[in-house]
Amino acid sequence: MRAAAADQVEPATNKYLIAVLAWAIPGAGHILLRRRQKGLVFLSTLTLMFVTGLWLQGRIFPLTFDLAQPLVGLAAIADLGIGAPYFIAKFLGHGAGRVVAITYEYGNAFVIVAGLLNMLVVLDAWDVAEGRK
Amino acid sequence: MTTHLGLMALFSVFVSIVFAMLMRDEPREQLAFGARLFAGFIGAGVAIGWLLYPLPL
Repeated sequence: MRAAAADQVEPATNKYLIAVLAWAIPGAGHILLRRRQKGLVFLSTLTLMFVTGLWLQGRIFPLTFDLAQPLVGLAAIADLGIGAPYFIAKFLGHGAGRVVAITYEYGNAFVIVAGLLNMLVVLDAWDVAEGRK
Repeated sequence: MTTHLGLMALFSVFVSIVFAMLMRDEPREQLAFGARLFAGFIGAGVAIGWLLYPLPL
């Protein structure tokens, strides 16, 4: 009975750990789940997409909940989806966003969608960890 | 490179790669699905662009 309970707890712990790692480092979840090719493609593609967004003068939106600007909060949540690159870029002083740059909105789209795609990658890693895929 | 079409194509490449890897497992299927997605993005973008061309009326 105790062994059966331990069996149920162990995979769940791993699933959560894999989900957190998959969020923090794009593709890390798949690499840990022995899907190295997919993981490396996610790592390179999503990181490059995020960096391209910053290169295009996109903004990393601050995580504030200002009712006057609800879309800023939603964009910040999407930006956070990319994980560690978000914090590294902030630490290095990137992502201030130059509103007058002609590529500003394009940059925002790249940064936001990179974060959202990584959220999908995390969900996929979760499904793989659960044995659904 | 920073033209609207160029950036749309680059954006489409990134999104197509990720979706192809997520939704297909075999490399050949991933390539075919990614290429179809990319063509769909570009085709839809150009078609919608032409539809919006006469606006504002």
